[in-house]
Amino acid sequence: MSNHTLPERLAAVPVHAGRKPDARRRWKGLLPYAFIVPPALYLLVFMFWPLGRQIYLSLTRTRLATPNRSTFIGLGNYERLFDNPDFYTTLKITLIYSVLAVVIGVAVGMVAALALNRPFPGRTLVRGILLFGWAVPNVAAALVWLWIFNERSGILNTVVTGLGLERVSWLTSTEMALPSILLVTVWQVAPFVMLVMLAALQSVPEEVKEAALVDGADRLSVFKAVTLPHVLPTLQLVSLLVMVWSIRRFDIIYLLTGGGPIGSTSTLIVKLRQVAFENHDLGLASAYGVVGLVLAMSVAAIHALYNRRRQT
Amino acid sequence: MPKFSLFAGALALALAASAAVPAVAEDKVTLVVANSQWLDALRGDALWKAVKVYEQRAPNVELKSLGVPSKDYGDRMITEFGAGQGPDIAIIQDEVFYALADAGLLVDIGAAAEGVTMNVTKDNGIVDGVTYGIPWQRAAYALIYNNALVEQAGAKVPKTVDELIDDAHLVQEKTGAIGFTARHQLNDFTTYYKDFQNWAYGYGASWVNDAGKLTINTPEAVEAVTAFKKMYDAKIIPTGDDFPTQRTRFKEAGVGYSIDNSGGTLNIASGSKLKSGELGAAPLPFANPGAHQQIYVVVNANSDHQEEAIGFVKWLVSPEGQTELRKASGPDMLATDVPLLDEFVAANPWAPVFADLAAKSRPLLIPGHEVETTQIMRPVMEAVEEVLIKNADPAAALAKAQENVDRMF
Repeated sequence: MSNHTLPERLAAVPVHAGRKPDARRRWKGLLPYAFIVPPALYLLVFMFWPLGRQIYLSLTRTRLATPNRSTFIGLGNYERLFDNPDFYTTLKITLIYSVLAVVIGVAVGMVAALALNRPFPGRTLVRGILLFGWAVPNVAAALVWLWIFNERSGILNTVVTGLGLERVSWLTSTEMALPSILLVTVWQVAPFVMLVMLAALQSVPEEVKEAALVDGADRLSVFKAVTLPHVLPTLQLVSLLVMVWSIRRFDIIYLLTGGGPIGSTSTLIVKLRQVAFENHDLGLASAYGVVGLVLAMSVAAIHALYNRRRQT
Repeated sequence: MPKFSLFAGALALALAASAAVPAVAEDKVTLVVANSQWLDALRGDALWKAVKVYEQRAPNVELKSLGVPSKDYGDRMITEFGAGQGPDIAIIQDEVFYALADAGLLVDIGAAAEGVTMNVTKDNGIVDGVTYGIPWQRAAYALIYNNALVEQAGAKVPKTVDELIDDAHLVQEKTGAIGFTARHQLNDFTTYYKDFQNWAYGYGASWVNDAGKLTINTPEAVEAVTAFKKMYDAKIIPTGDDFPTQRTRFKEAGVGYSIDNSGGTLNIASGSKLKSGELGAAPLPFANPGAHQQIYVVVNANSDHQEEAIGFVKWLVSPEGQTELRKASGPDMLATDVPLLDEFVAANPWAPVFADLAAKSRPLLIPGHEVETTQIMRPVMEAVEEVLIKNADPAAALAKAQENVDRMF
């Protein structure tokens, strides 16, 4: 048995042993910051700095060949933009394209997800095949579709003429170019929607659906009252993503039509490229980019507001 | 002991030798030479070997190639030069050349051409009295045709657009091949407008008048667009095909006529079903000469080795440099009048036609508006597209283009 009192024993404990819990606590407090710093730095360097630079460039007269020699002109580029009737056409095409890509892409993806949500022989294989469009790189997909749309020897016109109809100018007529691009977009977007929605559908509790069926509800009512409310947040999120991607989409449109014919597929991003690299006008191109950014952020803001209202 | 001395001596010698090698390497200046042509499957290696001969004349210089695909090449050079970077030497097309010269990113290389008798190609490399570019190659446009198909169809070499349409129809009807190929889609804008310049120049159009005013809706331009529309409506071209596909069809002996430049024609004539000897070339079926593309050698103002780079350019325009370049350049016109090689002409009988046309052809870029040519030609080509697709009146469409251009400048 020790002859020392408790205070004596405590005093005998080495000083460094008393610091250990403090250091651990401090380290624990710093740990989240340690995790946050790398992505924050990444965002700062690769996103916020270029974004700030783009906004600044949109307020300057800057040539492509002399990006470091800018003249500050305030809102001059925006005045040029809003005075140009072509800008409104471009904006309209961007909105039509993006909204239709969301509506059709999400609808097709949702239907595919519902079809794949029930077991049937070969389901895994079908799911793999349906994912193909999403897995193919955009440039490769655009080149393949160029051949499919080829007026003279493309498979689509082979089918069309086989049915006794006239050849269709899929990419070279103002009426068909945008629908053709939408077709390719849906082909690419729908598998992604399908995959996400399938995961959401599989999380719907089976017992709730079964209970509703036992209570006499038909399948459509079960979908409307049980399944849809359950997957609605996912559906909204996926719609938001598809919308923002569509506003930003460049490669497919540029490779298939370059914005033509007669500007019928010229979206903000295609126009941005044209102004920057054909006209060498980096200032005006940046203004186009900022408009695209505002458009995408508006969509995200509407989504956030809607979500907040739904939750309260 | 003697064994040890021997070993020590050998070691010292080896060390001295190994130390000497890096010393020599360090003294060498490395010049990075950029060119999209280095990646050309047909001529890339030969062109690179031609310039590498310079290393034998300048042992202190090592040339390093930078090949960039042609589609991205111009944009990459402009952004790299603009950012204070880029290769020491670049071999660039007209529109990139003028953009860089205008931005003050090129070095005056007039000293490299002193005492050299250059041909007409030199004029385009001089901006505001300063030589910023030495011609590398000039590629003129000509009417090319498949001799066998033309003969089989009983057609001839057309001298007017009407004759071209009739002959192309004959080829289509009698042989089943495509009558004619031409770029006709805006997704290929930068090359489409260049091809269209042949039609515009061919009908005598000039996009700028003597006073420097941009003149888009001139009677000559209207006539050119009308003729182009007539050709488009004649159903002699494979509508919807991009131009690489059309060239491939020509290579496969499936096309009667086309308008192409010398580089494109060499591509068609090489390693394909259609043998080069079966290919013919003739002046364009227009009253006036057509266009040419010109490529320049320039020295980057950001380069740390400007003197050595100018030395390379000096060698390039010397008789030896030009002879080496001629071996690899095929039918293109060079900075000096180096004749086509006899064996090349024997294998490619169409080549001399391009050389003749290159002496009279006009530059693709609008004089005085070289940097803005692409920007000016966008509304012009949109007007052409409206005429082709929407059957718009050529005069009205070009008047609208004129308004757009006036608003820009």
